[in-house]
Amino acid sequence: KRSSMKRTASRNTLRKIIKTQKPQLRIAANADLLVRCAVHLSFLVFLNRLAEEARTNAFEHRSKTIKAEHAIAAAKVI
Amino acid sequence: PRSPLKPVQPPKPAGASQRKTQKTRGAALPSSLIKCIFKHYAKMPVARETYRIVEKSSEKYFKQLCCDLEAYVNHAGRKTVEMADLELLMRRQRVVTDKMPLRVLIERYLPLEYRKLLIPVATSGNKVIPSN
Repeated sequence: KRSSMKRTASRNTLRKIIKTQKPQLRIAANADLLVRCAVHLSFLVFLNRLAEEARTNAFEHRSKTIKAEHAIAAAKVI
Repeated sequence: PRSPLKPVQPPKPAGASQRKTQKTRGAALPSSLIKCIFKHYAKMPVARETYRIVEKSSEKYFKQLCCDLEAYVNHAGRKTVEMADLELLMRRQRVVTDKMPLRVLIERYLPLEYRKLLIPVATSGNKVIPSN
């Protein structure tokens, strides 16, 4: 199952996100790939945390599915 | 001579509107990707409206990330983002700790082709990749 998940993001998109937020920030040319990989990594970790928090929330409310309110509560915690 | 039957070039309202929405929305990761990753980590059924929340919060996450990175870079007196800034960022997020070094996270989360870039590996010919 793990291999079926698409885990690669378009690096160009990641770059664009940073560029639109902070146009004056530059990414070191030689570390370009590394930095964007690391940004992607931190994002993956963030999503994992959010998902787990939302899941425990759902369990506490004895809900079988993760509903919007569980995700909202999780987002506030994280 | 051009034949009169040749279809007139259709106006492109679709492209224009697309550009407009993109501008207002700004660059963002594809929602399908976010959905896919979240679904994988959730390991249980997820209501549809949840994804909207997830997308919104990831947008906020990136905003915060950019601000933090800017602060770190300015603090170091640089103008470019470097690897150390990212590591510091994840340390501040309590993602990287003494018990959970960055290497382990990379091995756990990233696909092989990214891992190869981040973790130096000695290959044949006494070469270490990446060189920098």
